[in-house]
Amino acid sequence: MNANAKTKTRKRLQSSKELGRVITEYYMKCTSAKSEGIPVGWMPPMNGVIELFYAMDLQPVFPENWSPVCAAFGLTPQNFTVSENMGYSRDLCGYLRNIIGYVHGMIDDKNSPFGGLPEPDLLLTPWGGCVPVMKIFHALERRFPEAKIFRGDLPQVPIEEINDDHIAYVISEMHRLVEFLSHATGRRLDLDRLRETVALSDQACALWDEIMTYRTCIPAPFSAAEMGIMFVMVTLQGTQTAVDYLTMVRDEVRQRAADGAGVIENETFRLFWDNIPLWYNMGLFNYFEAAGGVMVAETYSAAWSIRMDPSDPFRALALKTLYSYPMVSCVSISKRKEMVIKACRDYHIDGVILHRNKSCAPITLGQMAIKRQLEDELGIPSVIIDADHMDARNFSMAQFQTRADAFMEMLAAKKQHRAS
Amino acid sequence: MSSHQIQSFADALKQSADHFHGLQQSGRKMIGYFCTYTPIEIIHAAGFIPVRLRGGPGTVEKAYSHVPDFICPYLKRCMENATDGRYDFLSGLVQGYTCDAACGVVNIFGDVVDLELIHAVPLPYADGEAARRYFHGVITTLADKLNAMDGRFSNEALQRSIALYEKIYGIIDQLYQQRLDGDLSIDAGDLQTIMDAGDVLTPEDYLRMLETLKKPPSEHGPQAIDGCPVIISGSLIESSVIFNLIASAGGRVVADDLCTGWRRAYPDYGHSEDPVDRLFYRHCTRRPCPSRSLAVDRSRVLTDLAARSGAKGVVFMVQKFCTPHLADYPILSDELKAHGLPSLLLEIDETWQTGEQLNNRLESFFDMIAASTAEKLS
Ligand code: SF4
Ligand code: SF4
Repeated sequence: MNANAKTKTRKRLQSSKELGRVITEYYMKCTSAKSEGIPVGWMPPMNGVIELFYAMDLQPVFPENWSPVCAAFGLTPQNFTVSENMGYSRDLCGYLRNIIGYVHGMIDDKNSPFGGLPEPDLLLTPWGGCVPVMKIFHALERRFPEAKIFRGDLPQVPIEEINDDHIAYVISEMHRLVEFLSHATGRRLDLDRLRETVALSDQACALWDEIMTYRTCIPAPFSAAEMGIMFVMVTLQGTQTAVDYLTMVRDEVRQRAADGAGVIENETFRLFWDNIPLWYNMGLFNYFEAAGGVMVAETYSAAWSIRMDPSDPFRALALKTLYSYPMVSCVSISKRKEMVIKACRDYHIDGVILHRNKSCAPITLGQMAIKRQLEDELGIPSVIIDADHMDARNFSMAQFQTRADAFMEMLAAKKQHRAS
Repeated sequence: MSSHQIQSFADALKQSADHFHGLQQSGRKMIGYFCTYTPIEIIHAAGFIPVRLRGGPGTVEKAYSHVPDFICPYLKRCMENATDGRYDFLSGLVQGYTCDAACGVVNIFGDVVDLELIHAVPLPYADGEAARRYFHGVITTLADKLNAMDGRFSNEALQRSIALYEKIYGIIDQLYQQRLDGDLSIDAGDLQTIMDAGDVLTPEDYLRMLETLKKPPSEHGPQAIDGCPVIISGSLIESSVIFNLIASAGGRVVADDLCTGWRRAYPDYGHSEDPVDRLFYRHCTRRPCPSRSLAVDRSRVLTDLAARSGAKGVVFMVQKFCTPHLADYPILSDELKAHGLPSLLLEIDETWQTGEQLNNRLESFFDMIAASTAEKLS
């Protein structure tokens, strides 16, 4: 095999196949929004703005989510060439280089996957979050000078330190946003409609939690290779579509758990993946299966594990915004450690794969502390894989195989030692 | 300004380790920070000495047990120093939220240095009334944390601390203004030495030393006017080596947009009666850093500086892997070009080894500017 060859993901869930339809429909909606007179707004993921958009019948688009699509379709090298020719350093986050390359390159190519992204009427630039996301939106502001711009502030505060001041500030930013949207689009926000949207969002979160709980079963009914289901949490939270789809996933996963149907015949090692997947090579999740390893859990999924109270929708959305993104950023390492340790306990993890992600310093910083805590507190070994979630040039399959194989052998020896 | 005066700042830098330990032994507590967005006036008002952590040149080895190699050399060196026990004089670390790397390092700093307080301050990005109210809450939280470690924060103390820093920044700003007007008798390297000394002295001592600089007459007269006039922009330059390199390659720094330079020396706190409002005013109006602002806003600052100083180009001297600066560069270079200002991007690593290649690139850049100036004149 070519050392850097992309390996195809092996999916076991029927509902994963159905996901293709959900994704296509979402992007079709994005592209048809323009002709239907629905304003399109580009925004960062993992905040409460998405529910506001759906409640006001506006179309949200997530450039960050478009990057994995580009990676899956093999379009990233082309986009990287465009942005690197503009002077963007290869040391910058791959999401940034990809999306900036895309908007300055193939955005007008209607043959791109799902018809491509519609140009934004509105840009919701975040203050706060990570620097690359902020800089992506600054570049988009420059690229789309006709778009109306809202710059929203967000306290960069660790979850354990969130207090009423932070919540009040985010709520005031939300109200400012509603005013902006009403003014920019001529649409008004109906509070009952917002409550319904938040209720749907909460249902999606509850379903998400339930789905994740079945992964504690031995054998695990599905693995990280199916994490594409997260798509609905990123792009469709607050819609009936997300709830319906997740209900389907839940039913299937529940049945598999009841039947004791695992991902592979002999699940011997349960693994945890830290950091973002390699979007251009999702098959890596299956790589460990040959040695009896199943990727049972990952950092990402915890970001959606929150509940929202529809009776106070602005507060619910503010809390969602404050709670979601620190889970995968550098804002709070103690919370991340706690989360990984808890996941390792809940999911009965034998070993952890730490993806040292060249494209994401925020998530990578602190991994060594997590590694130490895993060893000290739970005696769980981990291995570091050097790679990049977007840029295949920063990944060597040969090096990955060497490390992964050695790690799996070590886990096997450990198990044998324990048994004897 | 005499070379003797500059030497006293250079000496302070050289003797910093002893100085910190002396302060520690006398019972003073020191709080470290990385970025100039940290509200050091609050730290000072609580009775502590704010110390900007210096990375310094060198290698990185032990720090890799804590951080990946793809964060900026400055932070890697700070982590290396921490693992070497060089920050053992610190009682705390407080960091105004700026870039992901700095705040990520804040999160893990406690693994290598035993500190009473580690806190990242979630500063607002917006201005306006809601942001002002939020800022008050943020400052109260910080003051409470400092008081919990035997601090004595009060609004009156804050008034005094602001007055002290206002004087410090006022004198420094004056030096930078003089340089803009071509009226400064020292070169960019010496000016940097004066700035750097502020990292290792108590503000009271630093002010005393700065005040001696105000005394005329200047020994050497205004700055020599040979060399291609340029602005230097970037995050941190912790050594005069870089400035000397620019000079030897045929350049002359006439203004800077550096975190260790003019960007931090912003003297205007506004006129409110409320000291926290004064801090908020400075926070909102200060010269922008890329981790908290738009590239287009910075390009306005740079073109304005060029107009005032007569700079013919901009040298971006950026710490390798520094996301905020690298992400701004394409937009900045584009905008500057539209204003007739060429730019050059150079990256520095932890060794500060400037090397022949860097020198060649600088020389070509200055030659190119000289050729295009000559063409315009002919
Ligand atoms: S969190 Fe990481 S991957 Fe996401 S945009 Fe920021 S730097 Fe890139
Ligand atoms: S702004 Fe750049 S140089 Fe400064 S700490 Fe952050 S990454 Fe390092």
